[in-house]
Amino acid sequence: MNTKWSKGFGALMLSTLLVTSACSGGGGGGNSPDNATNKPASGNVGAAEGGSTTLSIMWWGTDARHEATKKALDIYTKQNPSVTFKPEFMAWDAYWQKLPTLAASKTITDVLQMDAAFIQEYVSRGQLEDLSDIDLSGIVDPGVIENLKIDGKLYGIPLSQNAQGLAFNKVELEQFGIPLPHKDWTYDEFFQWARDARAKLPEGKYPIGDTTSWDGFNYYQTSMGKPPIMSDGGKTFTLDKELFMKFYGTYEEFRKAKIVPPAEKAAAFLENDPQADPMASGVLMTRGATTGSVSALEQLMPGKVGVVNLPVGPAGGGWAQSTIFLSVSANSKNKDEAKKFVKWFIEDKEAGTALGLTRGIPINPDVYASLEATLEPKDKIGKEIYDLSLDKALPFYSPAAGFSEWVDTYRKEMEAVTFAQQSIEDAFNKIDKMGKELAEKAAG
Amino acid sequence: MTIGVIADSKTRTQTKSMPVKEKSKRISGQQLAGYIFISPWLLGFLLLTLWPIAQSFYLSFTEYSLLEDPVWTGTDNYVNIFTDDATFTKSLSVTFMFVLFSVPLKLFFSLMVAIALNKNIKGMNLYRTAIYFPSLIGGSIAVAALWRNMFGLDGYVNQVLAWFGIEGVGWISNPDTSLGTLILLNTWQFGSTMVIFLAGLKQVPQELYESASVDGAGKVRKFISITLPMLSPVMFFNLVLGIIGSFQTFTSAFIITKGGPINSTYMYAMFLYEKAFKHYQMGYASALAWILLSIVALLTLINFAASRYWVFYESDGGKTK
Repeated sequence: MNTKWSKGFGALMLSTLLVTSACSGGGGGGNSPDNATNKPASGNVGAAEGGSTTLSIMWWGTDARHEATKKALDIYTKQNPSVTFKPEFMAWDAYWQKLPTLAASKTITDVLQMDAAFIQEYVSRGQLEDLSDIDLSGIVDPGVIENLKIDGKLYGIPLSQNAQGLAFNKVELEQFGIPLPHKDWTYDEFFQWARDARAKLPEGKYPIGDTTSWDGFNYYQTSMGKPPIMSDGGKTFTLDKELFMKFYGTYEEFRKAKIVPPAEKAAAFLENDPQADPMASGVLMTRGATTGSVSALEQLMPGKVGVVNLPVGPAGGGWAQSTIFLSVSANSKNKDEAKKFVKWFIEDKEAGTALGLTRGIPINPDVYASLEATLEPKDKIGKEIYDLSLDKALPFYSPAAGFSEWVDTYRKEMEAVTFAQQSIEDAFNKIDKMGKELAEKAAG
Repeated sequence: MTIGVIADSKTRTQTKSMPVKEKSKRISGQQLAGYIFISPWLLGFLLLTLWPIAQSFYLSFTEYSLLEDPVWTGTDNYVNIFTDDATFTKSLSVTFMFVLFSVPLKLFFSLMVAIALNKNIKGMNLYRTAIYFPSLIGGSIAVAALWRNMFGLDGYVNQVLAWFGIEGVGWISNPDTSLGTLILLNTWQFGSTMVIFLAGLKQVPQELYESASVDGAGKVRKFISITLPMLSPVMFFNLVLGIIGSFQTFTSAFIITKGGPINSTYMYAMFLYEKAFKHYQMGYASALAWILLSIVALLTLINFAASRYWVFYESDGGKTK
């Protein structure tokens, strides 16, 4: 054979193999434990042999949540010996990488945890079972249920109350003689508070953080009485230019006046990391926190964290509602058993005790009441955010189906603004153009 | 394939001595045995490699969100990528920059280390082990996390700089320096390249150096006229592997910088990954994968074509063809 040829061919094969083999690595990442919870299931999942059922269930979360949930599953099996579980649990990222592949092969677990940010997408693809016929009276407030319905049907059983607020370093603010933020402060008050605080803080410390993500501005736009950026399932896209220029213009002024940290510093922040957390590191005096996440911050700086609701406008501000659910797969072979289980999950007191606050404030008031006496400060602070936010709360706005890339683009374009690499107007034009194109596509 | 060919040629030689009917039976039995022996590999290759490759090629002409069935869109994906995707251009240029700097740097650095470790010093094995040891955890997440701590705003690098009164920058959080930091990391992961160089150095016949010494050649002369040519096949091997590997750099960008700030380290592989598993555009991502494969294959072919001008094979009669 011609040696030149064989070498060339060899080169091609070599590169093909290397590229493909390198791409095939990785994957997995989740835990599929064969532990005590997971009693050896006879037969396949779904095969009801001798009246026994194995429910597969999947959730994301922290270790504390994993342990608590496994305990709750054991309790269910104790109460219903014919039902065993095949649990799978992992972190947020891995979960949302795994779920679409399961959906593609129609093998989503019988029961699965769902998030408000994704539920619309999965409902619109027919992956979730209608749970409207589950009787939740006396467990969940009927108004809450109504709010969660998608096209008149309930696709996820709400697990907890959640809310978005602002955490602040109350010890240091007091130390520097800065007044603490008060409930229902307006955006104007918030901005003025930041300016005043700057004058009193030493160099290297900043009153507030910069903002580059879409939701930061969406809070502002909706609080001013304008529609959310994405509405109507992504078919309507509204980015108010006047408000956009004003909002980010203020932050531009703040960057110059060192009211917010320089972009280079902001890009290095890593929330809930002991050294790099914007607030726990002592750099920022405030940062966003939710009912479900603030306990992690409190543990990093015990006794120092105070909370307030997000700034409000004429229409209100922030949100306070359920964002995590349990859903049932539309392809499940054990729908009845699964429905029974999801109701039990929020109703049963024993389960409630085992689960604690690992998914936020339990949605069932009875369960919360029985937990209240034993709550630690880190748990109570989450409840405080919820209570402060409730009366002014606007709905929780999540990215519409198909907008995940737009969300990334928004952040990157605004990052370029914070690094002074492009003007606010240029960023607006790019973000607006992409959003409108997506809305057009969604409208078909 | 290969096995089949061998079996065929074998039977051809046997034909004469065997009755026709029995022959065909024995052939298939023989062939079958061959296929059974290679079946574990063959099945793995067909089902886990070739089939997904073929599928990805098909998917690259579709729109596929995983949640819904793929929809045939023809060459739309490719057209969009080449005409209407600024991120594609950006990530490709970031990746080219990365390859352009990290491959030569790594080759140079690992060659220098290999030469240093090729000396006859007492306890050299210990040094070799110590220097190679970190490579065992080479491209792992742990190293990436370590890098993040070293080059962070309050990282060790800036702390050391502070001793000399230099105020460091946020190496990984500054768009001007972030890519350089990743290139540095890639260069530092020289272990396997270095070992291959070291093996190559050991192959260089000592007689050549001795006779050169007799002829009065100095150290530099010996390096240029003996070491480098004798090492060129190994150099070539490392170059090809280095280019292919660098084009697929993912872990460091994913863990250390998340592609940022402002896409300054948004490597092609990360772009592809996010398209597929974050934005659920499997069809588009498949098209990106095929473009990457084409680029790498083309560069490898060019490399092989260029190699005859500088790679020296002793077995070819001692001339660069």
